[in-house]
Amino acid sequence: MKDLISIAWRNIWRNKRRTAITIASIFFAVFFALIMRSMQLGTYGHMIDQSIEKFSGYLQVQNPEYFDDPSLDNYLDYSGELIQTIQQTEGISIAVPRIEAFVLASSGHQSKGVMVTGIDPVQELQVSNPEHLLVKYRLTPEIVTKIMHETTFDKKQIELLKFNETGLYHNLDRLALDLGLKPEDFEKYHPVFETHASYSGQYLKPDDDGVLVSSRLANYLQVDVGDSIILMGQGKFGATAAGIFPVKGLVKILSPDLDNKLVYMALPLAQDFLNMPNNLTCLVMNLTNNDQLIEVQKRLTSNLDPNKFVVKNWKEINPILEQQIQSDNKSGQMFLGILYFIIFFGIIGTVLMMIAERKREFGVMVAIGMRKSKLILILVIEMLFIGIIGTALGMMAVAPLVYYYNFHPYRFTGEMAKMYEDMGMDALMPAAGFDAYFAWQALIILLMVFLACYIPLRRIRKMKVMNALRA
Amino acid sequence: MKVIEINKLNKIYNESEVKVHAVNNVTFDIEEGEFTAIVGPSGSGKTTLLNMIGGLDIPTSGEVMVGGSLMSSLKGADLTDFRLHNIGFVFQAYNLIPVLSAKENTEFVMRLQGKSKKVCDARTKELLKAVGLGERMNARPAKLSGGQQQRVAVARALASKPKFVLADEPTANLDSKSTETLLDIMEKLNREENITFIFSTHDARVVKKARRVITLEDGKILSDVRKNGGE
Repeated sequence: MKDLISIAWRNIWRNKRRTAITIASIFFAVFFALIMRSMQLGTYGHMIDQSIEKFSGYLQVQNPEYFDDPSLDNYLDYSGELIQTIQQTEGISIAVPRIEAFVLASSGHQSKGVMVTGIDPVQELQVSNPEHLLVKYRLTPEIVTKIMHETTFDKKQIELLKFNETGLYHNLDRLALDLGLKPEDFEKYHPVFETHASYSGQYLKPDDDGVLVSSRLANYLQVDVGDSIILMGQGKFGATAAGIFPVKGLVKILSPDLDNKLVYMALPLAQDFLNMPNNLTCLVMNLTNNDQLIEVQKRLTSNLDPNKFVVKNWKEINPILEQQIQSDNKSGQMFLGILYFIIFFGIIGTVLMMIAERKREFGVMVAIGMRKSKLILILVIEMLFIGIIGTALGMMAVAPLVYYYNFHPYRFTGEMAKMYEDMGMDALMPAAGFDAYFAWQALIILLMVFLACYIPLRRIRKMKVMNALRA
Repeated sequence: MKVIEINKLNKIYNESEVKVHAVNNVTFDIEEGEFTAIVGPSGSGKTTLLNMIGGLDIPTSGEVMVGGSLMSSLKGADLTDFRLHNIGFVFQAYNLIPVLSAKENTEFVMRLQGKSKKVCDARTKELLKAVGLGERMNARPAKLSGGQQQRVAVARALASKPKFVLADEPTANLDSKSTETLLDIMEKLNREENITFIFSTHDARVVKKARRVITLEDGKILSDVRKNGGE
């Protein structure tokens, strides 16, 4: 075997240019496939993180009737027994209580249907973390004018300031990024933004009687921090739910749909408002290992009374996101398929050339006693060498990029960022970390090499020694 | 002792509309240790006959028995293995493996036979010294002259100590000096190791060295002369 490997290794360097071209084609295929796949998977991961881990949770415990009829009458008892069962189920990292109800909100002459979400303000920090979504800086045309009077900006920065003149920000870093200000320059601008753009929203306390209003909804209702909104609807068993609630802060939510309708309030206040003492609509859970979604779902289901509880996973709760990812994933896979298809024919071409130009040599080898199976093995090893070198180089070249963009996602700015945010997506493009998809690319290349060897190797098997010697 | 028996051997090529009777009803035997030259003009059937003896070509009819084995009964890997363990080939165009050095080419057949590195090394050095290439063992074929390449080819054919060596016009591309050297080497190895040599040639220098000369014309045996005995 050592001899065959040695012959194969030397053979691939007989025609250096051809080998280099074949390796280069595999290199670029692996490089582009991996970077594309990494960005694609990273984006899916981020979408899931934003929508699932940071909002609906990977699993939810609900009343068995609630999924088909999401009425407050199909409530859940928030009992110590339920909490204990969840805590004893392996694989669940956190479970937080929620009440979700649809009511009418009004302020002044404006009114709108909204979703009231009752949360435990402390526990919720570990899931949707509404505090992180609080609007802490705000730009208005007036504020922009003041800032421009006090500080000098270059032409591009002025354009960006005007472009973002109604912007709401969770932190100054994002504001600086949107305005194209470098971190080193931002120190200079920091005080002026702190003075004019600071916004005084506050997060909820566990016994708070105020609410957090999503930014687009606040804009529609024309309310600000310190104002009040009236909420009116139906509680459990048709009880009237009505109240006036002070606005403690605005939250900016990426999803435009949610940002148009969300009102956060502390769980005790929501239970009181909706006539649901010690009741919930769901318990939202995240997992210690997201890959074990179905296993944990089954485990928890088996631990709970099926007449009282049902466990739903995020794909059941949010099928649209699942379908969106699946369809985008399919198109990505199709593109990869086309890329590999082209490379596949390149490899076949190389093998055919290798056989054609060495036909006589193969004839001699068989004539002096080498079995055709060994000859075939040499060719397969040659192609494996080419495949492995191309794949390894491609992986080595792409690894630093994947590593960097995994920890420092590419962030879109300006109009591109707005476009992403309008679609309810964070304007980020992270790369997925090193995972099974890396190994898959190597396996696909190896499979292609074996497939590409099939037709030419059949020719060797059928080769007549005399014809080969005459070549 | 007869080691090769050829009985009513025929080879007809049907490549064009005209059938070519390359070997026509040939019958002869070869004794162990013979140093035989098959001679005749181009197209007389020498190479075809040699290829059928070596199992590289299939007869249209007739039998070839080599070392007691009927060649037509051997197929595929069995035939390849038979050649590996019994027959050494020397080709007109040397046909060395270009990516291997002289030493590696020489030991190639032995390695295929599964012989140890130590045995291969010893035999290869011995043979390459015998053919005068002791100093060029690590040179690849492209760095060797035609004569040197053919000597490596002879060393390769002899390395595994085959019972037979079939050499197809081994001196056709060599100058006089190289031819003389090569023939001396083969004659010496024939005497020392009792290997049966069969050449196809129309080189008078080879004929001169041969102890038996079979002359072919139009695929038929015209004469069969043993120099130390009668016809």
